[in-house]
Amino acid sequence: MNGTNEKNTGNQLSGEVVKVVSFGLGSEEYGVDIGQVQEIIRMVEITHVPRAPRFMEGVINLRGQLVPIIDLRTRFGMQRLEATKSTRIVVTEIGSKRVGMVVDNVSEVLNIPIENVEDAPEMIAGVGTEYIQGVGKVGDRLIIMLDLTMVISAEDKRDLETLDPQLAATT
Amino acid sequence: MADDVFDRQEFVAYFRDEAEELLQQIDADLLRLEEFVQSGNPEPEIINSLFRALHTIKGSAGMLGFTDAQSLAHKLENLCDLLRKDRMPLSEGSVDLLFAGRDFLTDLVESAVNDTPAPHGLTDYMGRLDQFAGIYEETSHVIEGTTGREFSADAVNEAGDVDQDQLAAFEAEVARLLEEAGGVPAAVAPATPAESVVAEPVAEAPVAPKKDAEKKDAPKRAAGQTIRVDIERLDTLLNLVGELVINRTRISDIAATMDRLMNDKSIEAPAALVAPLAKDLANSASMLARTSNEIQESIMKVRMVPIGQVFDRFPRLVRDVAKARGKEVALEISGAETDLDKTIVDEVGEPLMHLLRNCVDHGIETPEERERRGKPRAGTIALNAYHEGNQIIIEVSDDGNGIDLERVRKRGIAQGLVGPDDKLTDRELVELIFTPGFSTAETVSDVSGRGVGMDVVKKNITRLKGLFDVDSTPGAGTKFTIKLPLTLAIIQALLVRVVDELYAIPLDSVIESQRVEMTDVRTVHGNEVITLRGQVVPLLRVADFFELGGERDPEKVMIVIVGLQGRQVGLVVDGFQGEQEIVIKPLSVVVGRIPGISGATILGNGSISLIIDVHSLVSEAYASGNVARAEFSGV
Repeated sequence: MNGTNEKNTGNQLSGEVVKVVSFGLGSEEYGVDIGQVQEIIRMVEITHVPRAPRFMEGVINLRGQLVPIIDLRTRFGMQRLEATKSTRIVVTEIGSKRVGMVVDNVSEVLNIPIENVEDAPEMIAGVGTEYIQGVGKVGDRLIIMLDLTMVISAEDKRDLETLDPQLAATT
Repeated sequence: MADDVFDRQEFVAYFRDEAEELLQQIDADLLRLEEFVQSGNPEPEIINSLFRALHTIKGSAGMLGFTDAQSLAHKLENLCDLLRKDRMPLSEGSVDLLFAGRDFLTDLVESAVNDTPAPHGLTDYMGRLDQFAGIYEETSHVIEGTTGREFSADAVNEAGDVDQDQLAAFEAEVARLLEEAGGVPAAVAPATPAESVVAEPVAEAPVAPKKDAEKKDAPKRAAGQTIRVDIERLDTLLNLVGELVINRTRISDIAATMDRLMNDKSIEAPAALVAPLAKDLANSASMLARTSNEIQESIMKVRMVPIGQVFDRFPRLVRDVAKARGKEVALEISGAETDLDKTIVDEVGEPLMHLLRNCVDHGIETPEERERRGKPRAGTIALNAYHEGNQIIIEVSDDGNGIDLERVRKRGIAQGLVGPDDKLTDRELVELIFTPGFSTAETVSDVSGRGVGMDVVKKNITRLKGLFDVDSTPGAGTKFTIKLPLTLAIIQALLVRVVDELYAIPLDSVIESQRVEMTDVRTVHGNEVITLRGQVVPLLRVADFFELGGERDPEKVMIVIVGLQGRQVGLVVDGFQGEQEIVIKPLSVVVGRIPGISGATILGNGSISLIIDVHSLVSEAYASGNVARAEFSGV
C-alpha cells in the first residue's frame, strides 16, 4: 500500500514529508493528504438532493456509484460561484465514506517537509479552525491543510442549526 | 502471522457454515427418529446419519480447538451409540435428551465462533450425559464379556446367558436417568437462570486455547454474510463477462480505424468510409446492451437462494410448540426449492415463525377437540411457496378452527378497540387481529398470546414491500398468504418530473395517476383536496415539500394517488415520464437521512433520479401540517 499513508495513520502530520494535493478556493490555497484523494474529475452534472444540509451540493454518478458532493465554498461560508473550465471535483475517501468536493481549481501534488507544517492558527480568512489541521509552508506559499473528517461531518451543529432548523432536528 | 490470522478466520467461517448445515441435518434426523418412538425400532440409517453429522462436527471443532463443542459432540455420539446398540430405549425422553444436546451444540458453535461464553446449564447437561456414559462402560463389559462378541440388538435376544439381573438394573438406571433428563425439555431454551450459578466450574474448559489479538477480529469477519452459489450460475456470469471483453476489443478497433481514416489526408471522402464503421459501432452497442442486461439478470440470480433455507428450521419449531401445547401437528412443506433474494429470505423467517406458532397455538385444536369434531387427531399445517410473475407467494394454511370472529369481536370490545355497538364486516373483524396488542388468547402462554404477533407479522411483511392476506373458514381452517417481491434491489417505479428533476415513485404504493382541473381542487383549512369517487383525498405538492420552487400551472394539476395504510394522498407533480424498472442505490451516509427520500437510482442516460419514500414523505407532511387532515375534519 501507500507508504505515506501507512506511516500517517493516526496523525497525518507525522513523518518526514507530507504529500498533499493542493487546490485553490478563492484567494487561498488548500491541501488534503494524497492518501485520502481517490481521483480528481472535471465538473459533471450534480443532482440536487432536497432538504439535505445546505453545503451538500447533491450527488453525482461516478461510474455507477453515487457520490455525494460538498461545495467547499458553501461549506466555508464563501460566496458561491458558477462552475468554470477549471472547476474540479476532488473525490476523497475517508474510511468507507466517499465524498466529492467542488473546488475552484486543482494545482499540483506538493511534498511538504514536516518541519514546515505548523499548527492551525486561531483564524484564517473566514474558515473555521475546526476544519484545519495545520498550515504548510512551501516557499512563500501557505497551504491550508484540511481535516476532511470535520469537513464531511454532518454533526456540525452550528452550521445545521443556523441553516436548516428542521433538518438539525431530524439528524 | 498475518497469513495465519487470515487462514484461521477463514476456517472458522467455514466451520460455522458447515456446522449450521449439519445441525439442521441433525434436527431433521431427530424429527424422523421421533416418529419411531411408538414402534421403538428406528431405521438404522437415521441413527447412522446422526452419527456421521456429530462426528464431522466433532472433528472440525477439535481441529479449531473448540474443545467444548468437541466434547459435547463426542458425548452425543456416545448417546447415539447406546441407541444404535439398543442399550438405551428409544423413547420421548431419549429423543428430548438428544434435542437438548443439539440445542446446546448450536449454542456452543455460536459461542466458539464469536468467542462468547459457553451457554448456561452446559455443565449440568454434560454431567447428565456422563452418567449415561458411565453405565455404558459398566454394562458393556458385562454383556460383551458374556456373549464374547460385539453387542447387537439380535445378540440380546439370543444371549440367554447374559446376566439378566445386571441387564435389568441397567435398564432401570437408564429409565431413571431419562426420567430425570425429562426435566430439560428440548422446547425450553437451555439457559435457565437457576442453572447459571453452576455454569462456571470443573468441566467448563476454555472455549479456545488461544486468546490473542486474532481472536478479537474473528467474530467480525465470521459475522460477514456469505452465500453459496451454484457453480453453473458463476459460469454463466463468466461467459457474459467474456463477451464484454470481446466487445471492448471490437470497440477499440473501431475507434482506432476511425482515427486512422480521419487523419489520413490522402483519403478524399472519409465520411463514406466511416459509414460501415458506424454500423459496426451500433452493433457493438446493441450487443453491449444485451450483455449487460444478461449480466444484471445473472447477478440477481446469484443473490437468489432457495427459501428452503428458512423452511428447514420449521419442522423442529412446530414440533416443539405442538409438544408444549399438547397438540398433534404435522407440517407439510412444499416448494422449498423456490428461489428468493437472500436479503428477503433472511427477513422472512421471523414473520413465518410467528405465523406457524399462531397456527399451532390458536388454529389447531387439541386432539380430543378434533376427534369430537370428526377430524383426524393430528392437525395439518401446510407451508407452500411458489413463484407467480415477479412475486413469490408463501402460503401457510391449517385445518384448525379458523378465526372465531365472534370471539375476535368480544376481545376487541374488551380491549377497547371497537365499541360494543359497532357494526363490523367480517373483513374488518379479521383486520382487528393485526392491531398492535390484540390477542384472542385468554391467558398468556409461553408460545403466543403475549399480544406480540400478528401486527408484527404484518409490519415485517409490509417492510419487505410485501402483501399479507388472511382467509379463514370457521371450523375448517385458516390460510395466510404472503406475497413478496423477488428482490428488494430492483423495483418497478413511476418516473415523475418535479420542477426540473426526475423522481421515482415505487409503483407498489401508486394507486393511479391523473390530471385534474384546478377548478376541481378545493381547499380545506387552507390545504388542497380533491374528491375522488366520493372520497376526499388531500393533496401534497412535492415541489413545496422539497422546497424546489418552480411555477404552478394555474389550470390543472398532475396527481399521483398513493395509498398508505388505507389512506390516500395525492402527490402533485409536474409531469409523468412513464414506468421503469430501477435499481435502488442507497444515498451515502454522509448525506444523512432525508425525509421523503429513500435512495436514488441511475437512469439509462446516466443521470440520477431520487426515489421518493412515500411513507416518510406523507407522514412528515402530516406532521408539519402541509397536508389537510381531511378524513379527520369531517369533510
